[in-house]
Amino acid sequence: MKSGVLRDRSGALLLVLPVIVFLAVFFLWPLWTMVTAAFVDDAVSKVLPRTASSIVSWDGQGVPSQATRKALVQDLSAASEEQALGEAVRRLNSAASGFRTLLGRTIPAVKAAPDPAQVDLAAVDPRWNDTRFWVALKEAMPPYTDRNILAALDLKRDASGIIVAEAADVSAHRLIMLRTLMVAAMVTVACAVIGFPYAMLAASLTGWKRSVLLLAVVLPLWTSLLVRTAAWFILLQNEGLINRALQAIGLIDSPLPLIFNRLGVVIAMTHVLLPFMVLPIYSVILGIPRNLMSAAQSMGAGPIRAFWRVLLPLSLPGLLSGSLLVFMVAIGYYITPALLGGANDQMISSVIAFYATGTANWGLAGALGLILLVVTTVLYAIYGRFSTSQQVPGA
Amino acid sequence: MFRALQATFGIAVVVFLLMPIFAILPLAFTSSVFLNYPIPAYSMRWMHELTTAEVWRTSILNSLIIGSGATVLATVLGTLASLGMRRGALPMAGLLRTMFLLPMVVPAVVLGVGMQIFLVRLGLASTYLGVIIAHAVLCIPFVIVSVSAALQGIDPTIERAASSLGARPVTVFRRVTLPLAIPGVVSGAIFAFATSLDEVVLTLFVAGPNQRTLARQMFSSIRENISPTVAAAALLLIVGTLCLGGLGALLRWRQGRKTAAAAA
Amino acid sequence: MRPFIQFESVSKAFGSVTVVNALDLAIEKGEFVSLLGPSGSGKTTILMMLAGFERPTQGAIYLDGKRIDHLPPYRRQMGVVFQNYALFPHMTVAENVAFPLEMQRVPRAEIARRVERALDMVKLKPLKDRRPSQLSGGQQQRIALTRALVFEPSVILMDEPLGALDKQLREHMQLEIRELHKRLGLTIVFVTHDQSEALTMSDRIAVFNAGRIEQIDNPQVIYDTPRTRFVAEFIGETNLIEAKIASVDNQVARLSLGAGLSARAHAAGGLSAGQTASFSLRPERIRLGMAPEGSNALDMTITDCIYHGDHMRVQLARDDFSLVARCERLAGHWTVGAPVVASFDPRDCTVLAQ
Ligand SMILES: Nc1ncnc2c1ncn2[C@@H]1O[C@H](COP(=O)(O)OP(=O)(O)OP(=O)(O)O)[C@@H](O)[C@H]1O
Ligand SMILES: [Mg+2]
Repeated sequence: MKSGVLRDRSGALLLVLPVIVFLAVFFLWPLWTMVTAAFVDDAVSKVLPRTASSIVSWDGQGVPSQATRKALVQDLSAASEEQALGEAVRRLNSAASGFRTLLGRTIPAVKAAPDPAQVDLAAVDPRWNDTRFWVALKEAMPPYTDRNILAALDLKRDASGIIVAEAADVSAHRLIMLRTLMVAAMVTVACAVIGFPYAMLAASLTGWKRSVLLLAVVLPLWTSLLVRTAAWFILLQNEGLINRALQAIGLIDSPLPLIFNRLGVVIAMTHVLLPFMVLPIYSVILGIPRNLMSAAQSMGAGPIRAFWRVLLPLSLPGLLSGSLLVFMVAIGYYITPALLGGANDQMISSVIAFYATGTANWGLAGALGLILLVVTTVLYAIYGRFSTSQQVPGA
Repeated sequence: MFRALQATFGIAVVVFLLMPIFAILPLAFTSSVFLNYPIPAYSMRWMHELTTAEVWRTSILNSLIIGSGATVLATVLGTLASLGMRRGALPMAGLLRTMFLLPMVVPAVVLGVGMQIFLVRLGLASTYLGVIIAHAVLCIPFVIVSVSAALQGIDPTIERAASSLGARPVTVFRRVTLPLAIPGVVSGAIFAFATSLDEVVLTLFVAGPNQRTLARQMFSSIRENISPTVAAAALLLIVGTLCLGGLGALLRWRQGRKTAAAAA
Repeated sequence: MRPFIQFESVSKAFGSVTVVNALDLAIEKGEFVSLLGPSGSGKTTILMMLAGFERPTQGAIYLDGKRIDHLPPYRRQMGVVFQNYALFPHMTVAENVAFPLEMQRVPRAEIARRVERALDMVKLKPLKDRRPSQLSGGQQQRIALTRALVFEPSVILMDEPLGALDKQLREHMQLEIRELHKRLGLTIVFVTHDQSEALTMSDRIAVFNAGRIEQIDNPQVIYDTPRTRFVAEFIGETNLIEAKIASVDNQVARLSLGAGLSARAHAAGGLSAGQTASFSLRPERIRLGMAPEGSNALDMTITDCIYHGDHMRVQLARDDFSLVARCERLAGHWTVGAPVVASFDPRDCTVLAQ
């Protein structure tokens, strides 16, 4: 009997194993890579190992010792991997501007020298006498850093290592996070305000009317997200259908600005996410026995009282799980804001994408991604507690 | 009065939900160079452009290649996993299930960043295989949800009956379990294909110019120089997904009819 | 020589809960044995161990002299009929019935012939190309039965096969199954919790309680001389009488019933004067009015009289001693409050094991 259980178990494991391995390698590992990208900072120390161990003893005043400078020359002449060197240069240049040209001149000189040990850095480029570059070099050496996660929160360490707020004009991550939450909240409220009565209406109808209402919810769900976004583009643009219609009936003289602003983003996202609000509420309302309302009314509650005291409290779980779902998906949204929003409507995902693909700043992209990941996971955990349905969209 | 209000509200929301989809379709046949109303005359110009212009044609082809690859990969892996999780023989089944569904939840951009760094390290960035793998990660949850539901609908006594009638475990699987689970597998595959077809964000991160998919091409076209080709592509996508959706609904309906008997 | 089917001190535990406890059960070839008991008494578990879906935690099961408890279900050659029929929804009726024959690699032509014949037997040949979902409950039931019979298994196991049918159809199917059993000489193990079904159909009934057999006997013995209080109460209705034994003499015990009444009962042995024991007396064994020669006669009062259509239930009492009698309606007219003599044969009052 024991062996039977064991055989069942190992058989089941054998079937599940491929997915476990696949997702561990191609899902969890990439996420982990992203998280480590935020904290690992070994681009420089990997290429300049001797300098890394030597510069530790430097006190940050003036210029490091002869030995350290020798070590740097040795490292540079030994560095052969083009890509790793490039990354190190990029990292150093982002810490102290001018580093790129400085190294751009130094490296060929070092490589060309017959005996690297004889190279004098200050002779190659006088900027090597500048403390600023050496400080940047020293600070780039520790393999782990909290710089990215601090930067993601608009914080930094000052010269003495104390965490302080970033200057207001330098970075705007907090503003963008706040904006993300704002947009997500607006979309959630809009979905709730439209979705709740809509679900109730659908549940109260029968026959073809109900079918039409449900079909209207499901059909967009089956339509490509890009198609829907493109469609809103057509509707909302200045010469779009909505503006033309409003102008035609004389409500407005000049086109309303509906696109490339917050309004356009919220309208389109509400359209995209409305089904995720309607469906959970609808299924909860369907589960409420119909005669409860009649029972409440038979006990003397007017229709409005019966609604407030009976139907609303009972359908609240649906509203809650729908709202969580919409909010959770909304904060990670990328495509709709990217296509329909203006520069001031970009949400956290757009910023992550910008750091990742635009400037190849993986550290900051990873740190912001980590924050978004944590928030989403927490929301999902809460959602999992509130909702029994497994329905979750891919965004 | 209240009724009229209800009706107005219902109609308004239905229009809100459906109008965009129906508004974009006629523009596939406009003769104008602007993706806009009014339509001066109907023409096949943009449909022609969609099927002949190099970027669009290759993007359609890429979507089909990547969609098929991701669908096959996700369907095989997801079906195996659903079968394994079926009898509750596994410890920590709940945890596994959560992990399997997680790709649906993690924001695509977050996964995209990680995936890009990771695939570069593996040397799979900007390859078909890399894009297929990335899409498959997103598709697996849909397959698992769909196949698990189908398997859950199979009455275990039916398999016991087969076994008592002399069928070995492999035969039980081949003759009873699989035929009853197939509709779930197929609709899982349909979900997977539709998901891959519509995927933009991951593709943005992991695909090179050679793996540009239709959705990705639409994204940059809307962003950079929008033209009625986008409407033509939209029409293609809508017709495609509706066909797939219809097929899935048909299968589910047939399965529902079949298994209704077992429960009787 | 072992019996055809034998359970030898078989126990089954799920985790720490013992569901079947040291069961010994022997069934002969061609016998129709019902397993009867309340819900949760382990009937299905026993059947599933016989069919091979559960393994005994302890003990051995033999079929035809061979030990089978380690064999998988598909090697046991038993036709199982499940409560929900378990027809394959994706196959037609004919395909369902052909399935076990295909598993035995019977040649195609012969399969067709045997399926045809089997369907003919249950008069369902016209439905052979339908799907199970297009059949009524009774038809599905008959297909399930046919499918279990067609490969001529050595034993047929049925787990409450008629539970989902309405009363009329159930009675019809009971007859049909009995008929098949007689005609084909089948060995049938039949699980039910419907006592009248067990009484009408079986050669022997095993009454289960909490994983143990309380009594196994033919229906008449079970009904007339229940051995334990559980059996007496579970099957039919009975008067349970707690009485002190005044004397035992030549297989006849004198009981003092209280309220100054006394009666004689058949003592099976093991009873001795001075002890207290429980007895079962079926209501229909009590006669009201005059007492025949040799029977017990008790002077009692009618306290209630309930009309049941074809019979009456008459409540009798004397002080705190009370009985229920079941009377034919023609047997007389009873008035509440009237004195009456209740009589019964000493052999109808059977002693119960504690
Ligand atoms: N797989 C199992 N795991 C744990 N306990 C079980 C399992 N199967 C049965 N049991 C328990 O064993 C006991 C007997 O179950 P069984 O199904 O044999 O009863 P039964 O006599 O057939 O009852 P019923 O008349 O309700 O069908 C029950 O208490 C049940 O809860
Ligand atoms: Mg049972």
